[in-house]
Amino acid sequence: MSYARGTIAALVDAVVPETPAVGDDVQAAGALDIDLDETVETAFNELQEAPEGPIRSLGYETMPFAPLLALLLDVGALELILKREREAPLQSPDERFAGGPFSRLAREDRMRAIRLLEADGVVPGLDETYDAPIGIVAYLMQGALFITAMAAYSDWGDDSERPQGWEQADYPGPADGYAVHMGYEVDEFEENDYGADAEEGDAE
Amino acid sequence: MTGSGADMSDPDVVVVGAGGDAPALAWRLGQQGIDVLLLEAGPFHGNEQFPAPHSERGNTASASTDDLSGDLLDQQFTAREGDMGSPVDGKLRWGPADAERAPWARTVPQTGVISQVAGVGGTTLHYYGNHPRAFVPSINEQPHWPIDYADLVPYYQHLESVHPVKPAPTTPKAELFFEGARRSGYDLTTGLNVEDEGYRPFPNAIHQPDEALRRDGDYDGDFRDVSGDTLACHEHQGGPHPRGADFEERAKRGSLTSLVPKALATGHVEIRPNAFATEVLTRAGPGPLEACGVEYRDTWTGRTRRVFADAVVLAAGCIETPRLWLNSGLPDDGWVGKGLTTHHFDFVSGTFDSDTLEDVIGQRKVEPHQGQAAGSRLDVPGKGGIAVNTFAPGITASVMFSESIDGFAFENDTTGEPWDTHGRVTGTKLKEEMSDYRRMLTLICHTDDRPRQDNGVTLDSATEDEHGPVARIDWSPHPEDDERRDDLARRASKLLDEAGANHIHRAGAAPILLHLQSSMAMGKVLDSGGEALSVDRLFVADHSALANGVGGANPTHTGQALALRTAEHLADRYFDGVSDPIPANPTPASADD
Ligand SMILES: Cc1cc2nc3c(=O)[nH]c(=O)nc-3n(C[C@H](O)[C@H](O)[C@H](O)COP(=O)(O)OP(=O)(O)OC[C@H]3O[C@@H](n4cnc5c(N)ncnc54)[C@H](O)[C@@H]3O)c2cc1C
Repeated sequence: MSYARGTIAALVDAVVPETPAVGDDVQAAGALDIDLDETVETAFNELQEAPEGPIRSLGYETMPFAPLLALLLDVGALELILKREREAPLQSPDERFAGGPFSRLAREDRMRAIRLLEADGVVPGLDETYDAPIGIVAYLMQGALFITAMAAYSDWGDDSERPQGWEQADYPGPADGYAVHMGYEVDEFEENDYGADAEEGDAE
Repeated sequence: MTGSGADMSDPDVVVVGAGGDAPALAWRLGQQGIDVLLLEAGPFHGNEQFPAPHSERGNTASASTDDLSGDLLDQQFTAREGDMGSPVDGKLRWGPADAERAPWARTVPQTGVISQVAGVGGTTLHYYGNHPRAFVPSINEQPHWPIDYADLVPYYQHLESVHPVKPAPTTPKAELFFEGARRSGYDLTTGLNVEDEGYRPFPNAIHQPDEALRRDGDYDGDFRDVSGDTLACHEHQGGPHPRGADFEERAKRGSLTSLVPKALATGHVEIRPNAFATEVLTRAGPGPLEACGVEYRDTWTGRTRRVFADAVVLAAGCIETPRLWLNSGLPDDGWVGKGLTTHHFDFVSGTFDSDTLEDVIGQRKVEPHQGQAAGSRLDVPGKGGIAVNTFAPGITASVMFSESIDGFAFENDTTGEPWDTHGRVTGTKLKEEMSDYRRMLTLICHTDDRPRQDNGVTLDSATEDEHGPVARIDWSPHPEDDERRDDLARRASKLLDEAGANHIHRAGAAPILLHLQSSMAMGKVLDSGGEALSVDRLFVADHSALANGVGGANPTHTGQALALRTAEHLADRYFDGVSDPIPANPTPASADD
């Protein structure tokens, strides 16, 4: 388990956790049961091709955004801890997680760390100090949550015939059609006049 | 004219992009006998010249409807969510056709999501077929437009008969929405020209469903024996239904299946996919500058070529059209790329208990995955609109619950608000929401956000790809846009509450850039015929040419209407004019009727 993978594991686990207490096998499973950490890591590493220049000369064809994401999550976690804005005690990380601060936060505190990175913390504050597009960090955080949720509830994160997320939503998967036609509220729209109200000012 | 597979070397007009709007323009020009070459950055699906568009380059170009294949479309459009729609490696994404490669870069320095699609048909590959006209006051009473609403009406009418555009059928989820709207006190709107509040079925560019598919009927076929919409709700995944039908008979009238075949059928239009335009070529003209061609790069081979023509049309969408303009060093008086509108979306969902549903719609679940993805709406001219917008679970989880500018639901106090939760939902709560998917109705709010010079596209000179510096997008709402959005979210919540929802959630969405308008606005960058004010023989025919966000109505009907109109101006100015003006017999529809 790499640092990037293990930190992303703590992210996907916070978005779609395992919930054994619900006592329903379908609903109990979480993102880690379908290795969503791997899906999100791959997605981040394939978000964008590497431009010509130093990154390419290091042998990367695409931008290595997954380690960057992991690093940022730890930066956010560290800030949360230092500012004493944690609401739950630190935890010893799950065996699938990495060892950094983000992996040690309780689930909602992990989201609070993201909030600092996006809006309330020192990173977004740099935007005003430096003339650089620091907001990219917020964009990556939004991307991480969007990708995690979409992958968790579709075939993106689980390519089996019936992905776990579809099962949890009780979605039957692609269909050829449904006989649910109930007629028409309007049979045909009409080419109605317009402009009169505004001209005559009959609202007064 | 060249044959299939060859490259048109000497077109009269070269067009950048073959997305939502460009095929309308190409069709209209082709009808006048003008030879048009469209350069499209992405793949061409369902075309025998490109049988495996995501793994092999295939041939060079397509110029005949004989190349279009329903069978290929069935193979390629699987209707699975991730396979079709993953923005990273789905078939419908902003990236090269080659599935082995990463998407193309954009710089977005803020919380937000962009959804645009590269490929013939462009972002209409994803779209939901919603084709309302602009709200009348957004054109006649907002200060942005140099033309009148009445100027667009004949083109609207033309498209409404060719796609065609018809009222969407009522389905259970639509009836639930209608009932909420009635109980909220709204009237039914039956006119095409909308000035007043009211609810209605969407005017949709989706063939109406077969009468055999009545809910109270006894249909038990395989949906290959019917024509028209099968109500499978796969618009977002490309909308290939009905399976087995001819290419041009697919129900969703996205540009790929509706306008592209019409353009090719003129015998004067050729489409070259996998061709990314990198520079508009110019020369000194009688005026200051005139366009004379385009340089483009083959996305598979990396080879660049130049093609020259009498006129150039940019139709690469609201982000890439200004990027290409700026990368070509064309003049900018301050409005190129600016004035971008996005409809400042929000999403509100309601979850219902089964007994309520039984009472209101006669079934125990909403079944959001059945029926057209977006078939019913509420218009609020001056503020925007609210529409049913339903998706398969992956998009529901991401759009409804995971993207927000308002933080996380667990930290937001909603006391006194009409919604129970607000912001991103994660953890156990997300799982609970998603386990209620089939009892949930999701609504989108389209805000009438107004053009502002601070919002839009610039070049990110620090990030370059093989096509030059990438586009940087900055967009933030004006406080008045926020107010309008808030008003719509409250109306949406009330409607859901009146319909009987027992749990209401508001996303407080972060900018989702999928309705994009007005970044190269007519009246600012373009004259009233769609030609650039600062460069002769250069036209823009995509949604960037719109002068504002058309009031919050879905933009494609207006984008395509304007593209038809721009084609006629182009033909008038640089060719022999138009032999068959639209409309042949104008239907009266104006203020003085
Ligand atoms: C999920 C979803 C649902 C939607 N539903 C609706 C709806 O129901 N109704 C509605 O009105 N709108 C809808 N929209 C929005 C609608 O799809 C877009 O507004 C519309 O497609 C925009 O048309 P366009 O021609 O401006 O750009 P696009 O359709 O994006 O076309 C631009 C084309 O140019 C190509 N291109 C870009 N750069 C280059 C280059 N340099 N060289 C060559 N080619 C290039 C692109 O690959 C693309 O094919 C929806 C959008 C999404 C994402």
